[in-house]
Amino acid sequence: MRSRMWHRRGSLSPLPLKKPSTRAARGVTHLEISMSARSPSWSTLGLGLAAVLWVLTVGGGFVAMLVYKSTPGIAAAPPASWPEASRIEPAHDKPTLVMFAHPKCTCTRASLHELGELLARVDEPARVVVAFVLPDGTGEDWNDTDLWHSAEAIPGVTVVADHGSREANLFASRTSGTALLYDAGGRLEFAGGITSMRGHEGDSLGQERMVALLNGHAADRPTSPVFGCDLGAEPKDQGGKP
Amino acid sequence: MSEVQTDRTADAIVARAGARFDKWLDERHVTTDRFFAWLLAGQWLFGIAIALTISPHTWSGKVESIHAHVWLATLLGGAIISLPLLLIRMRPGHVMTRHVVSVSQMLISALLIHLTGGRIETHFHVFVSLAFLAFYLDWRVLVTATLVVVADHLILGLFLPESVYGIDNPEWWRFLEHAFWVLFLISVLVYGCATTIKTWLGFAQEVVMLEALAERQLDGAHGEGS
Repeated sequence: MRSRMWHRRGSLSPLPLKKPSTRAARGVTHLEISMSARSPSWSTLGLGLAAVLWVLTVGGGFVAMLVYKSTPGIAAAPPASWPEASRIEPAHDKPTLVMFAHPKCTCTRASLHELGELLARVDEPARVVVAFVLPDGTGEDWNDTDLWHSAEAIPGVTVVADHGSREANLFASRTSGTALLYDAGGRLEFAGGITSMRGHEGDSLGQERMVALLNGHAADRPTSPVFGCDLGAEPKDQGGKP
Repeated sequence: MSEVQTDRTADAIVARAGARFDKWLDERHVTTDRFFAWLLAGQWLFGIAIALTISPHTWSGKVESIHAHVWLATLLGGAIISLPLLLIRMRPGHVMTRHVVSVSQMLISALLIHLTGGRIETHFHVFVSLAFLAFYLDWRVLVTATLVVVADHLILGLFLPESVYGIDNPEWWRFLEHAFWVLFLISVLVYGCATTIKTWLGFAQEVVMLEALAERQLDGAHGEGS
């Protein structure tokens, strides 16, 4: 009589029961019920229109976000050799890495995080300097920021203040997070950022190239896009090609 | 009691158990919708708080302006939760509502990951969201959420591979590595949903039979009384 019986051990049932016919078991959904019960109403059409608008708005919002985050800042054009006028002391027995940073640029938090990650992957320590660019007219609060303290907390990093954007101008760096690598002989090897997007942590091509060079290997390219705030510097193009 | 009467009683109990199960499942869908209404609104406010705390301003030299993250958290976050909140208000318990909630919850994950600068810890939000979506006891909702994650990886991997994998040309299996962990969780959650559904069906049958038994005894008592 019954093709399928539904009977559980320990059940209170004295009867051999069929499996209950639920909507889920029949594959019937609310949508089908509402669709079969009546034709699309004004509220359904309104919700459909709202759904289309939602897809366009949310899709557009994500595209705008990705465009913002993946648009690089102005690339550095640093001198091919360490500028003699610089007050930053380079190392003469090992490479020197200089990163220019805006003390209040929140995007640079990711650059400093990646700098710490990068240095942990380097076999031989380099001289590493983070120069916080302080445009003319900035107050004391500019050299007491969380970014400043974060940079100081990275082992092996020397933090300096670049008053009046002097060093940023000398090294023709205009975007916070710009990292420059000079070899022991003072020749430019790499210029660019070490994050994959604006203010975004994680591996990046710039970091891979920098690590390769610091470990004595070749890099596929000597530059990478840099993402961060405008430093407010107005350097002259030094024309250096790493 | 004849065999025909027994069959009728059994069929009535089965039909009543099915209806009871459907009622419970509908109630679960509606309560889960309401839960997500609060959760989505809370996450929107949380995203704004994160943007205001981590990246309130952007700078160009000495000139400060409101950071794009604040606008994104407010406007994009608000847009993301608008449709699910509308559907939860107008169509609570509807199958379309929970699928839209599923998509929105995963989009909130993506937004929070970007607002926190891609912190690896924020990626846990994806897995937490999948677990929350399992409250619906509907495996199709989990599939929808997984498709959003897959679409996000595919689109970003195609146009901005560095943002996902950190390199330009990731190995083909890197995608599978990410997908494996999502599928691992999903398979456990789907199993959990299936066993819960099975348990509920058993409960429905037992509750309905107890009710039928009680009704019969009441009828008997009334019959003796009259």
